[in-house]
Amino acid sequence: MTTVAPPSSPSPSSSSSPSPDAGTSTTGAVGRPSFGSILGRVPRAVWPLVAFLVLFAIGGLIRPNLVTVESLIGTATFAIILAIASFGQTIAVIQAGIDLSVPNTIGLSALAFLALVGPLGPLGAFVAALAAGAVIGFFNGAVIAKLGLTPIVTTIAMNGLLFGVILLAFNFSELTVTPDFVIAITSAKLSVLGISMPAVLPLGLALMVVLQLVLSFTGWGRSLFVVGAAAETARLAGLPVDRIRITGYMLSGALAAFAGIVIVGYYQQASATMGASYLLSSVAAVVVGGASIFGGRGSVVGTVGGALVLAQVATLVTVLNLGSNIQQLIYGAIILVVISLYGRRRAA
Amino acid sequence: MTAISPPRAPSTPPPPPPPPRRRGWNSTGLTRLRREGAIAPIAAFAVFFVVYVIINPELLTRFQLQTASNLVVPLALVALGQLVVVLVGGIDISIGAVMSLCNVVFATQLLTLPVPVAILLAVLVGLGCGLFNGFLVAYAGLPAIAVTLASAFIFGSLAREVLDRPGGGVTKEIYLATSGELLPFVPVALVWLAVIAVGLWLLLQRTALGRHIYGVGSNMESVRAAGINARLTKLLAFGLAGVLTSFGAMMLASSTVTGDPRSGDPYLLSSIAAVALAGAAFTGGRGSIIGTILAACTLGLIGNLLFFAGVNSYWQYVISALIIVAVVGLPVVWRRVAFRVKGIRS
Repeated sequence: MTTVAPPSSPSPSSSSSPSPDAGTSTTGAVGRPSFGSILGRVPRAVWPLVAFLVLFAIGGLIRPNLVTVESLIGTATFAIILAIASFGQTIAVIQAGIDLSVPNTIGLSALAFLALVGPLGPLGAFVAALAAGAVIGFFNGAVIAKLGLTPIVTTIAMNGLLFGVILLAFNFSELTVTPDFVIAITSAKLSVLGISMPAVLPLGLALMVVLQLVLSFTGWGRSLFVVGAAAETARLAGLPVDRIRITGYMLSGALAAFAGIVIVGYYQQASATMGASYLLSSVAAVVVGGASIFGGRGSVVGTVGGALVLAQVATLVTVLNLGSNIQQLIYGAIILVVISLYGRRRAA
Repeated sequence: MTAISPPRAPSTPPPPPPPPRRRGWNSTGLTRLRREGAIAPIAAFAVFFVVYVIINPELLTRFQLQTASNLVVPLALVALGQLVVVLVGGIDISIGAVMSLCNVVFATQLLTLPVPVAILLAVLVGLGCGLFNGFLVAYAGLPAIAVTLASAFIFGSLAREVLDRPGGGVTKEIYLATSGELLPFVPVALVWLAVIAVGLWLLLQRTALGRHIYGVGSNMESVRAAGINARLTKLLAFGLAGVLTSFGAMMLASSTVTGDPRSGDPYLLSSIAAVALAGAAFTGGRGSIIGTILAACTLGLIGNLLFFAGVNSYWQYVISALIIVAVVGLPVVWRRVAFRVKGIRS
């Protein structure tokens, strides 16, 4: 019932190929009813990528000098950072939850990483920060699955708790030096196929591929969708629903923690409120990426597409000098359009 | 069907907001509070209040009472707005943005327009925002969380379009009228909160619309089968929430004597936290006004309490979270343990 991005996704950068492939070569032009059903069969993750390409083309029409590899890389870098921050959110939304503790998980892991680099070394600090994220996720998941509190309330409470921990535990004036190790995996320039790009871009895409493979092809990944679509059915079918929920939130927390390290490496600064802007924008990227807010549907490829759309809007708004208010307004309009499209399809 | 208790209520109107003094407390009122999940938050507030007064007896002085109520009242009003949305089974992610928008509309219009017109405009903006959300949720059938996520972006950007940095024309007179003292030991803010809360209570418990709001949240299908216009009820509930939020926004603008386009942001999470602490069901149909107000008071005053207790006030974030999980989670654990015990006995 839940059509999730099929295996064809691992090459998102060449996204123009899958949609004509699915749209024309299978049945061609048979008639209108089958055209609709073919459209319905195109994986949702494709649409945000198509929308991104359309926006990119519009940008090219307005300012022809925008159509350059540098501009594309710039937008994609901005998008991949948002996408990395939203991967955890995607996992939470797929299992019919939501993770509003993403902002302060980002902040906590970034600051913990910086604080622990001294005693533990970069790799040790990296692992410790990820583990902290997983522990946060464990508590979220345990309270949601075992106590039965609403995900929204649980993760809001966790977000508040983490904010207190951040303010109490860290001495901000000492945490200014970003270790070379994270710079090397984030903002350092790499040359891939002759194109210079920040290391975070291939890193994020690799993470996307791994996560999508896990979601699409492992038993755990598939059962996550089942739990999200119909938790009671999954329970009756003998799935360990609570365990799947908890591990899902653990992965979600660990991914948010990873995002914190990436953000601190790329922007090379950390503060108590560094994650605040990701509270709504991570959910926005997931929703624009085609996930159902009710769970059971979504993909990390779609989330990357959603982040690309939002990032391209940001680029266009900057180029046209419209100001960040207009950007937020357009974000809201895009979300409305996306949910009204998918809402109608669900009803049909 | 949880909260539709008969209108044969206690002789005194049950929720006079500030201190839970209830002389005409009969079993009907108690049953209603229990059904609405309000016992735990009321008990939590009572404990909190006693601890507060022991640590800091100065709370009961005029100045501190006034400061504390100015701190708590905006949160309580916004939380009531969130409660009304939660009662119909929704959630409002845009409530912070609506609050910011009403706040800056109120503050900027005061520069040019007479005060009543500015108030009216702010309320209308709140109502408009609520109806916008409500229309998309009730008539377009879209999920409330996604709709209000979108409108959070939209209303937030409108707020910064109206006023891009703190400012506006809130005057000393307005401060005194909303946040000063009516009589010695009676802060005006609490009086306004009481008036609004009693009005809301009458609306929810004594009018058809109010009962429909509870009904739509408890069982949408039954309500529809009974011939009640469930969609209109949802729409009006969102509109009502917008109006309540605008009251909170005006109280905040007046007590801080500025309009600020980001002033509503923190209220998104704290309003949901207060409604959760009040024991409301996020599936709808269950939630109490008095519980929500007292939960907002508890959450709003924790920082102050820690300050007077000489504890680093950053602990307030940790403690608030633990209180929420404890108060909301304990009844669940309790019910489960009681269920097990019963099972063992039989």
